[in-house]
Amino acid sequence: MKEVLKYAPFFGCMISAKYPQFEAAVRKTLKNLGVELVDLDGYTCCPDPIYFKSSDKRFWLTVAARNLCIAEQAGLDMVTCCSGCTATFSETVHNLHEDSKLKEDINRRLKKFGMEYKGDVRVRHIVTVLRDDIGLDRVKESVKIPLSGLSVALHYGCHLLKPSKVMNVEDPDHPELLELLFKAIGAEPRTHTDHLLCCGKACQNSDMPANMVHDIMTGIEKLEAECMGLICPTCFDEFDLGQIRLKRIFGKKFEIPVFYYFQLLGIAQGMTVDEMGLHLHKIKAKDLFERFAVTKTS
Amino acid sequence: MVVIDFTFKEKLDRLIGGELHSYCYQCGACVGDCPAAKYSKQFNPRKIMLMAQMGMKEKLVCKDSIVWECTNCYNCYERCPQDVRPVEVIVALKNMITEEGLEPDDVKKIVDSVKKNGRTVDISNLVNRRRTELGLKPLEEIPLELIKKIFSDYPEEKDK
Repeated sequence: MKEVLKYAPFFGCMISAKYPQFEAAVRKTLKNLGVELVDLDGYTCCPDPIYFKSSDKRFWLTVAARNLCIAEQAGLDMVTCCSGCTATFSETVHNLHEDSKLKEDINRRLKKFGMEYKGDVRVRHIVTVLRDDIGLDRVKESVKIPLSGLSVALHYGCHLLKPSKVMNVEDPDHPELLELLFKAIGAEPRTHTDHLLCCGKACQNSDMPANMVHDIMTGIEKLEAECMGLICPTCFDEFDLGQIRLKRIFGKKFEIPVFYYFQLLGIAQGMTVDEMGLHLHKIKAKDLFERFAVTKTS
Repeated sequence: MVVIDFTFKEKLDRLIGGELHSYCYQCGACVGDCPAAKYSKQFNPRKIMLMAQMGMKEKLVCKDSIVWECTNCYNCYERCPQDVRPVEVIVALKNMITEEGLEPDDVKKIVDSVKKNGRTVDISNLVNRRRTELGLKPLEEIPLELIKKIFSDYPEEKDK
């Protein structure tokens, strides 16, 4: 009997409200990996590391520390499924560890909630839990239908890896985590030209992100990858919905389906494409999975 | 005409991460890997650090400031040999812009949503129908009392 791993999940606004298919994929696949997710009450938005942080960094740290206290009090590692939430919490832990005066000030602000942030809580992006706790062997063992021959263009996104001294995941210039994860489910990970380029979502200029996504998609098209695989809902937004935008701006239709890692893990574990919510994506997977004998409806 | 604001630097120094701009020695390591610098004609993190050092407040803290073109990718944080963390200096500048109410509407909209609902995304019936179809529990509203309590002192003493 393998040990049961327990974590406090934090799904965040974007996954739970905008892309709940990712939450469903995480919950369903982790069950098959012997993981127990303990849902805790009282969370708010992490808050987001772009807009909210831009408006008031001290307030951003306070609200983030309040959320962290909830997991800390439960004595569980906080597991994040969105790279944005990961950034907010990892940076908060780092900032408060690095600056004791700041920590004191934030704790003064947390008093009204009857909370104190001690700094014992660990924040981990869920893919690092797969690599470091669950282990790739256990991921492989859970696979019933290897996605052999499915070529997946990997996109890391910025906030899983950088800043490396805050995130401590791996070398952001030569990452291999996603390659290992996609190989574990039998897929063929592919490296496209701009695989480390930012998706551009945070940039408050309408042309720049469109040009960035255009370049990224062009690289994937050249590679003839069948789909794109990633782990961040913000990147997903830019690349899935983003392709509709590209069609409008450049008149160019890419039609490259984009998947969150756990959706493909679920399909490899034998779940249907509908259970994994692929029908909710703007760019449809069409018959991409038919060769794996996956039924279309549940 | 370039206006130099001598109090600007002091104010930036008081914001979390803002003080780091002083350590910039203009090597440009931040520029080479900056996607915003590559995709914009005008965005340049090295120049933004220089303008901050020189006290060119009007150019940075204004409506439609160039700093909003930053993609928040953290490459500059990663590359800087001086640990200036240019992106964090830019965040401090954005905090100053917001304090003056000059932030872009999209930023205001998302922050207002968090202040109102506790989330960046509203929960609609569609969201919960979708969640139910996927076998997930419906999302509950974040209690108004909690949201009020969190934001009762917002904004306060921003430059402490």
